Amino acid sequence: MMTLLESPVGRPLALLSVETDPRCRLRLLELGFVPGAALRVVGRGATGGLLVAHGDARTALDSATAAGLRVEAIRA
Amino acid sequence: MLDSARRTPKSCCGDGSSLTASDAGAARVALVGNPNTGKSTLFNALTGARQRVGNWPGKTVEVAWGSWRTGDAAATPVALVDLPGTYSLVPRSPDEALTRDLLVDRGAEGRPHLIVVTLDAANLARNLYLLAQVKDTGIPLVVALTMTDTAAARGIEVDPRALSEAVDAPVIPVLPREREGLDALAAAVREALADPRPCPAADLGPAVEETVRGLADLIGSEEPEVAALRPARWAAMSLLSGDEVPWATAGLRAAAAVRARALVTEHGMPGTEVPDSEPAAPCAQSSPSEHPHAEPPHEAADFEDAELVLAEGRYLWARHVHAASVHCSAGSRATWTDRIDRVLTSRWTGLPLCLGVMWAVFQATTTCAKPLQDGLQEFFSGPVTSLAVELVGDPDHGGWLPGLVVNGLVSGVGQLLSFVPLMAIMYVLLALLEDSGYFARAAFVADRLMRLLGLPGQAFLPLIVGFGCNVPALSASRVLSNRQHRLLLGMVIPFVTCSARLTVYVLLAGVFFGSSAGTVAFLMYVLSIVLVVVMGLALRRVLFRDSAREPLILELPPYRMPTLRGVALQTWQKLAGFLRTAGGIVVVTVTAVWLLSSVPAGSGRGGFGGVSVAQSLFGAVARFIAPVFSWAGFGEWHASATLVTGFVAKEAVISTMVQTYQTQDADGGAQASALGPQLRATFEQASGGHTVPAVLAFMVFLLAYTPCMTTIAAQRTEIGGRLTAVSMGLQLAVAWALAVLVFQVGSLIA
Repeated sequence: MMTLLESPVGRPLALLSVETDPRCRLRLLELGFVPGAALRVVGRGATGGLLVAHGDARTALDSATAAGLRVEAIRA
Repeated sequence: MLDSARRTPKSCCGDGSSLTASDAGAARVALVGNPNTGKSTLFNALTGARQRVGNWPGKTVEVAWGSWRTGDAAATPVALVDLPGTYSLVPRSPDEALTRDLLVDRGAEGRPHLIVVTLDAANLARNLYLLAQVKDTGIPLVVALTMTDTAAARGIEVDPRALSEAVDAPVIPVLPREREGLDALAAAVREALADPRPCPAADLGPAVEETVRGLADLIGSEEPEVAALRPARWAAMSLLSGDEVPWATAGLRAAAAVRARALVTEHGMPGTEVPDSEPAAPCAQSSPSEHPHAEPPHEAADFEDAELVLAEGRYLWARHVHAASVHCSAGSRATWTDRIDRVLTSRWTGLPLCLGVMWAVFQATTTCAKPLQDGLQEFFSGPVTSLAVELVGDPDHGGWLPGLVVNGLVSGVGQLLSFVPLMAIMYVLLALLEDSGYFARAAFVADRLMRLLGLPGQAFLPLIVGFGCNVPALSASRVLSNRQHRLLLGMVIPFVTCSARLTVYVLLAGVFFGSSAGTVAFLMYVLSIVLVVVMGLALRRVLFRDSAREPLILELPPYRMPTLRGVALQTWQKLAGFLRTAGGIVVVTVTAVWLLSSVPAGSGRGGFGGVSVAQSLFGAVARFIAPVFSWAGFGEWHASATLVTGFVAKEAVISTMVQTYQTQDADGGAQASALGPQLRATFEQASGGHTVPAVLAFMVFLLAYTPCMTTIAAQRTEIGGRLTAVSMGLQLAVAWALAVLVFQVGSLIA
């Protein structure tokens, strides 16, 4: 288990939990970051944030938010 | 199918009245969907509206509406409203609040008769979340399934019939860019309007359903007037989520708090573990009478958790619908969008590329537009002026009409129109960047920079809009959910140099810096960015110390090839808007300047229209102000006169220059001479020979002081009168101090 921020680029991941403040958690839920969702870090940005693939959507997250998402590696 | 369309400014107070008042007899249909689902493109295809189209999250900053003919003349006319793209009907920003307001809080008379929900076939699960909320309103709906081509290319097949059964509403696949499926959509809407059927709610599981039903019944029995004005299920959901709704009585809030806590206890802490696919058992029900003093210490937390339970329920429903209607033949894999993003958003190349793109845009606008601009200027100073002289007479021979028409209107409007190529090129390039999906990446790249100001990366989007015009940028600041952030952004936006200021930079840089004009104009943009950062930092420390950190959670649209039609529509809309605004301002300002220039002041000899500008009322005002700018090297009345009209609008600066120079010798034989030599003479004389520092100081003042009266009005709307007054004073003080600094330091170096 690790945070999304610590995850290597390209590895398939499953979202375990979202441990951020409730408002942020709800917005993430609305965007599909629900526990069990398949994620993949597709890039690290110029400013420390992450580009994350979930399904066919791509979402930019700042590093503090990414650190609140707990994930585990899964098989492709 | 095509008909007229109009736009109404969107405000959180709403102007939903326009939905009803202007379309009496027409069926009201609202277009609702996530950002980047092709909603605005569909709106354009259905109404022919000149609405902006682009794949930029949160970009739609106005409600567009138009009439849509869904069939022959006998068919019910439809007033179609394009609501702002949103991920949820739980509002976090004025934009989202407006959508909710128009859908549920208008009473039965104000609500739409039908909702068309756009669902992106390539991101169906997330789009279904919003659909689940829309279904809570009970308003009849039709689903427009968009992006089916993108989904197919990714190995995703959506079965419209299965989807229709699962969501209990008609589903019509459409490709608005290709105009495919529009007739079928029109037929479905026609049918739904002819036989309106309240849309059944999404099933969120027994526990949630039981809780919501119990609360809705309570609202119906104890507060029937509340239930009469809005859907009872929606009202129950709002109470359970702890929404600050004005209609909620203390009794209802207390009942909702009890039920929210029971629901959360039954469900477990939401969002922190993988939810059970089997819904939990119904929770115990309580009535307010059983808990007369139900104000628990953690009520807010209970509401927040209950909101998360509802959200998870919607996703469970979305998963069921997705499983029943979607077949995926390929897993999530790296796309070419990902590969491009690795370069454009990389920590090493992202920022330099972003700056490079902006530099290229402004270099292209100044270099490519120059020959066209020169040609138009010659056309107006030659044939058009000759024609005007033939029609109204020669201003050299006296008379107020030739002076007003030839030296005022023809010159002023001619100068304005000569900037059309420049503006058109810039708007085309900005539209290309926007439609391609690059602007959203720029927000991501600039996130750290924005955080320096205490603003989230999303604030970069309104700032970029500000380079076109500050007024829509101020409206776009509503995409930020935090009020303190909106206020801070509203105060720094005027320091973003708009396109109207660009026209003056280009003119002055062309006159004084020759082949380096493009670089000088670009440097003004760099200075503008520095000013935004510095002022943001200062304001954050002084006025907004308590502003909370806003996370960056921004969906990035896939890169798309911009369409010729989309770029042309955006360019034309912006250009027409610029010309409408600037044209009106120029005509009014030119007339006002002419009028003031015709009234003698002080020792001025001659009657009305027979006095030189220098001896007129306008000259007296400008001369009175001029000494303020002596330390900045342009304490001369021509310069201060342009700054006075520039306060009204920067579009009027050049026309005022032309007017004052061309009419100054009206009593001594006017000669319409070139602006360049006169400007050089003015700045050389005012600065004591330090022309270049004086011109730079003038340009810096122009950059930093009040953009225009319209911006002040927009600021007042967004940040209130008091902060607008503070902001205006700050702009003038900063502009003056910087101009003095530039001139004094520049003179020493020179």
